[in-house]
This record gives sequence, C-alpha cells and structure tokens, in this order.
Amino acid sequence: MIPPPLALPLLSLLTGLLLFFPPGAVASGTRNFQFFAPPTEGTLPNGPLGRLIRQGELIFIHTGQFAHRYVGNDLTCESCHLDRGIKPYSAPLWGAYGIYPRYRKKNHTVSTLEERIQGCFRFSLNGTPPPLGGRTMKALLAYSFWVSRGAPVGLYLKGQGLRHMSKPAEPPSRLRGKRVFESRCSLCHGLDGQGTQADNNQVAFPPVWGPRSFNKGAGFYNVGKLAGFIKMNMPLSKGQTLSDQQAWDVAAYIDSQPRPEDPRKAGGKHS
Amino acid sequence: MTGPPQTTFPSVRRSLAMGLMLLAFALIPAKAASADNEGAMISWGHTIAMQGNGLPGNTACAECHRINGGGMPSVGIPRIAGQTETYIYREIRGVQKGTRFSPYMDRIVLNLSKRDIHAVALYYSTVRTPKLHDPAEFDPSLATLGRRIAHRGLWERNIPACIICHGQDGRGIPPNFPYIAGQSKTYLLGQLFSFAVIKRKDDPEGLMRGIASRLTNREIKAVAQYFASLEPPVYGPIPVKNRPDRLRLIPHKETPSP
Repeated sequence: MIPPPLALPLLSLLTGLLLFFPPGAVASGTRNFQFFAPPTEGTLPNGPLGRLIRQGELIFIHTGQFAHRYVGNDLTCESCHLDRGIKPYSAPLWGAYGIYPRYRKKNHTVSTLEERIQGCFRFSLNGTPPPLGGRTMKALLAYSFWVSRGAPVGLYLKGQGLRHMSKPAEPPSRLRGKRVFESRCSLCHGLDGQGTQADNNQVAFPPVWGPRSFNKGAGFYNVGKLAGFIKMNMPLSKGQTLSDQQAWDVAAYIDSQPRPEDPRKAGGKHS
Repeated sequence: MTGPPQTTFPSVRRSLAMGLMLLAFALIPAKAASADNEGAMISWGHTIAMQGNGLPGNTACAECHRINGGGMPSVGIPRIAGQTETYIYREIRGVQKGTRFSPYMDRIVLNLSKRDIHAVALYYSTVRTPKLHDPAEFDPSLATLGRRIAHRGLWERNIPACIICHGQDGRGIPPNFPYIAGQSKTYLLGQLFSFAVIKRKDDPEGLMRGIASRLTNREIKAVAQYFASLEPPVYGPIPVKNRPDRLRLIPHKETPSP
C-alpha cells in the first residue's frame, strides 16, 4: 500500500501525466483515426498476388512508364490520387473500392470499378482504356484491393472522393483565379501551367492544361470537383490554406485554359 | 507645295537609317559579348570566392565553402558545388535580406552587389567536386524511418514525400528545388530545425516551415541522415522547360539577362 502522505502527490502526478499524454495519443503514435487507413505497409503476401499488387503500385506511381500504352499525357494516377491512392479527399482507392458497382450520371449506366478505372485512362490520362482482364487492369485492381483491406463494402467513408464544395459567395472568376494561380501555383506548375521537368527529363510537376494534361471529359474539367481537390490538397502539404472562393476561382481559371477535347465529342461519334 | 516634303523626307530617311545602323552596332557586340560576358562573370565569381570583392567585411567564400564548393561537413557548412545559379543567387539574397537565417554569413555578404552575387552564384554552379567525408555518426535504427519519410512522406500529418519536390533520390528539381542528396547530416539537421522554429523563412509558400514543424525530432534526424548518406548529383543542362521566369522564384527584375 502507498503511505497516505505520498498518495496525494502521486495521484496528482498521474493525472498530470494523463493530461499531458492522453492514452489515445500514446497508443496511436502518428496514426490519424479520423479517416480510414489501410493496415501498415511492408506486409505484401509472397507469391503471384504479392507481385501483382506490387506491379499495380508501380503502375499507380509511374503510370507513363509501366502502362505507357494506355497513357496519352504527362499525368500519373498519383497526380490526382495523392499518397499512392491513400490520402483522404484526393479520391482515395479505399473510398471507391467498396462503393462499386455504382450508377453514374456521367454515362447513365451502372459501372464496375474496372470500368471506372478505364474512365480514368480515357479522360484524365487522355489515353486508351486498358482492356478488362488484362495485366494492367488486374494489377490496378489488386493494388486497390490491397489498400482497401478492412474498409466496409457499400458505405461512403469520410474522406472518400473529393470534398464537396458548396457554391461560392461570388461566382468563380477566372481573373481572380489567374492572380491566385500566378502567386501560389506557378512555382511548380509554371506561369503557363505546363509543369516542371526533372533534370533527367521526367515529369516532376504535372501540366494542368495544354496538350499534355487531362482532357475535357475528365472529372477535373468540372470546376466544382477541381475546386474541391485544390481546396483540400493544394499547394501540396498546404491544403485548406486557400479560401473556398480562391479554390473556386483558381479552378475556374485552370478549366478555362485550352486542353484536349472530350474523346466522346472529338470525333463526333460514340466509341 | 512640294518643298516641305522634299526637305523632310530624306532627313527622316537618313535618321531612320542612322537609327538602324546604331541599333545594328548596338546589337552585334551585345550578341557576341554574351558568351564572353559569362566567362568574365565566372572569373569575377572565382575572384570573389578566392579573396572577396575587396569591400570591407567580404571575406573569401572559399574559407568555408571551399574553392570547389564542397563545404565543411563536420561543422555543417553546406556543399554548394553544382547547385543551380538561380538557387545560389536567391539564397545569398535571402541571407542579405535576413529571410535566410545564417548568423555567420550575413555580415560577409552584406557588401556584395547583385552583380557580384550573380557572378559568384554562376561560378559555384559550374564547379564540381566529389562528396566529402561526413564525420557525423550514422544511427542504423533510424535508417528505415528516414527512407520512408523520403519516399512516402507522412501524409497523415500532411507531410509529402521529400522526393516529390527534391527530386528522385534528393537530386533536386533545378532550378527552384535544390539537391539535398550528399549534404552533410549536420547541415540538413540545422536547416530542418531552423525551418521548424521559423528562424529560416525564405522557403516559397512556407512549404518547408510547415513540413519541418510537423516532423518530430527523431524524424528530422532520420531524414537528415538518409539524405546525407546519398551521393550528390551532377547536373547536365537544365531542362529548357524550367526557365526561371516561368517558375517565378526570384523576382523577375533580378533574373540575369541572357
């Protein structure tokens, strides 16, 4: 037993410690429990599945290199799905995996996840969709599965998709957007929006308009969606530092710039 | 009736011709001089690096950074050999203005003119030197963590992978994002702490201040050690696409005329 004269100081010391280090903080370390997060990395299964997942991850990061046949511009999967498809509010894979098949207004049909991924290639990557059941598609599906382990099926999770932006106070203005872009985005994306190259001539920061960027069929050609992405993620590591109005303005500016046509309209016929 | 035009017309033509000739004379030497000029600037930069520019307080850069730009790993003087001209220029200006925290260098660069800074930046961007020995101890227990932060970041705290901006293996994305591979551990530690406590505040957008202040001390040590263990890059020509005027980092007025 603790002798009575020592009990009070000890108790106060303990409560003090608890106040400074709440048990949750100690236990979680760096984990942010606000959002779903896949189980820790580095535990890929051995064998064919592990190899397929790893290949999917490589395609995800270096899309132009590992799936070059299907890519028509300078973007990669990671250009929009940050942190290899894990970061909340940048359309994380774990947010999408459980909610497909899904009815989509974009093409008025029920899409499977594979068809959704084909859409990414066709519009955001301005390329050709990888065939269903092909190696590229299988690898991307395997990787999506891997980072979605433990996520519930059929539920919309917090942080899935992009942040929904309610209409701004003033209608988005390209002119104000141009000023925001030039002061806060041009360091990486360039005053002309054409991105930056690494010294080994690989793409360092992606072009946000022009011939090597996403086409007019992409989700980001929708000003509200692009604003939601910018608001939560841009400038990189400084998400939520632009006001809602600034995010709308800069998205309106970016989407007013020239870019490849929507492939569904370019030829004037369906494909 | 025909008088005035006849008198003015030839004079206008003559002055136009004179103007064109003057323009041509002005242009031809300027063209020829630009390559010459660069050579002269580099040699002026070399002089400053060797003995200072002759004004009070301005001692030789080489005393700390060495004449080949290798720095002094033991006390954390950075390696500047082959760092881009734009970047070195900007950092010296930052020290002058006090946005880049450097308690020793601020007095030394006080008397450098913009032209001197361009010259010395140009000189150090052209020199090459191998990586010097870094006596800082290597803690193997931090190796995995350092590698992870460098390649994956800690996104749950909004810390992107270092290599997104500092390039593959920390080789930088010239001209705005410097290489950090092969810098000494002492230097990298010093800068990260300096950003974290907001003493150094010349980073565009406050990107590094934000990132460094969200890293723990252990993570800072790990990531500094990781990049110190890599080999510094040797740049070829900088991609045409990355012209400094496109990627506005230093004020447009201060970019050197080509």
